[in-house]
Amino acid sequence: MRDVQQRRQFAFVVRQLTAREIKRKYARSYLGIVWSVLNPLLSMAVLSLIFSQLFRRSIENYPIYYLTGYILWQTFTGATTAAMTTLADNKMLLLKVKFPMDLFILTRVYTALINLGYSLVAYVLMLAVFQVTPKWTMLFSPVIILCLIVFSLGISYMLATAYVFFGDIKHLYSVVLTLWMYCSAIFYPVEQLQGLIRVVIWNNPLYTYIHCLRKAVMYGALPDAVELLQMVLWAAAVYGLGYGIFRRCRSRILQKI
Amino acid sequence: MPAQGNTEQVEIVVENVTMRFRRAKDEASSLKELLLRKLRGEHRYEMFTALDNISFCVEKGEVVGIIGTNGSGKSTLLKIISGALIPTRGQVFVDRRKVQLLTLGTGFDPELTGRENVYLNGAMIGYTKKYIDEKFEDIVRFAELEGFMEEKVRNYSSGMVSRLGFAIATARDTPEILILDEVLSVGDMFFRKKSEARIREMIHGGSTVLIVSHSTSTIRQNCTKVIWIEKGRLMGSGDPGQICGAYEKLKGG
Repeated sequence: MRDVQQRRQFAFVVRQLTAREIKRKYARSYLGIVWSVLNPLLSMAVLSLIFSQLFRRSIENYPIYYLTGYILWQTFTGATTAAMTTLADNKMLLLKVKFPMDLFILTRVYTALINLGYSLVAYVLMLAVFQVTPKWTMLFSPVIILCLIVFSLGISYMLATAYVFFGDIKHLYSVVLTLWMYCSAIFYPVEQLQGLIRVVIWNNPLYTYIHCLRKAVMYGALPDAVELLQMVLWAAAVYGLGYGIFRRCRSRILQKI
Repeated sequence: MPAQGNTEQVEIVVENVTMRFRRAKDEASSLKELLLRKLRGEHRYEMFTALDNISFCVEKGEVVGIIGTNGSGKSTLLKIISGALIPTRGQVFVDRRKVQLLTLGTGFDPELTGRENVYLNGAMIGYTKKYIDEKFEDIVRFAELEGFMEEKVRNYSSGMVSRLGFAIATARDTPEILILDEVLSVGDMFFRKKSEARIREMIHGGSTVLIVSHSTSTIRQNCTKVIWIEKGRLMGSGDPGQICGAYEKLKGG
């Protein structure tokens, strides 16, 4: 009984903190939250302008191919980079409130999920514009997104813990992200690559998420057994590891902060 | 020694609490530095004792003032009592669900409106949405901020912010244990009177109050007992007049 009540209170706190994040992000802009819809569209327009000719043969419907990768990638980077600094950002609060500091990390990831929601508005709009026919396999998308979120959460726990002890992680991570992005085949077809890089991409969990969503939305296919296993195992393993590290370091984090 | 027998009366027991921080002499704040040091086998840190073997207990309904110069460990003590920090040694017995820590301006976001901040802040100190909905009018009235709630807190004066903070934190019917960290000396004269009146109300309602303040006059007026901490050591506890007198003498000399 008490537990349920507490959970509800935690959910309320996360919602309030998330509302703050979002309002704050757009505090000084006129269009505000509309940017969450506009951003993916503009980015899609730019990339399509440059690359759709180049990849005309290997990718049909390049804008959707790109947009699918882009929104998932943005969700991941948005969640992890924001969550990384959250403990340091909320230092003052952390020592004064009574709820566990996990909630701050959850908040940043949840914020990214809300942003994904807005991006999906743009996405659905574009699906209609580019005449992608609705398929029943699209119903599988929430599962993919769920896996992605759990995966992001795991990475977030690790980064947030690490960031408390070394500020350098922030700069290091941005380099890692660049590399990671090029290994996720967001804007190019993976078929043309050979050798080592191809192996890397195929074993990149983010690519798996993107690839499965593309399959479900564009080609009307469900992920096969291997892909499904990959998605779930990566998410579970990374989450377990991340949360484990975070828990072990919890009291040291508090002292350090 | 903390009374074990009449536990009903004793609200907070602080038993031999020692808090040490490991403070690197100059911190390795980057990965490179850390690696270099590990390679060289250097471990340069010193132990910094923020609290040294502090014991006291607070009975239900007492109003206890905590005094001490800056950096003497008062805030650390509060954080330990409220459960945010775990002491290196010693124990604190208190029902953490009852504790409410009130500090100024924490959790206020300047980019949000007053209304949004009331909900955010309320959520963080443990109010449910329904409860805030109910109490919203009271909070605004007490803080004397009618007509300002849709304004961003960025545009508030510091007095307005602290009034709002005080109003939110004390909106709960009677928080059983209220910890006030330097909040009684805020606002103008009139608001100060009002907030002191509210604190007194809570005291009559059976709340146990801990007040941290630099101002000995605030302490003298409100407290039934004083605890004096200096450089992590308990210098004395007991009658407000006596302890405050000794404290003032030390400060003066």
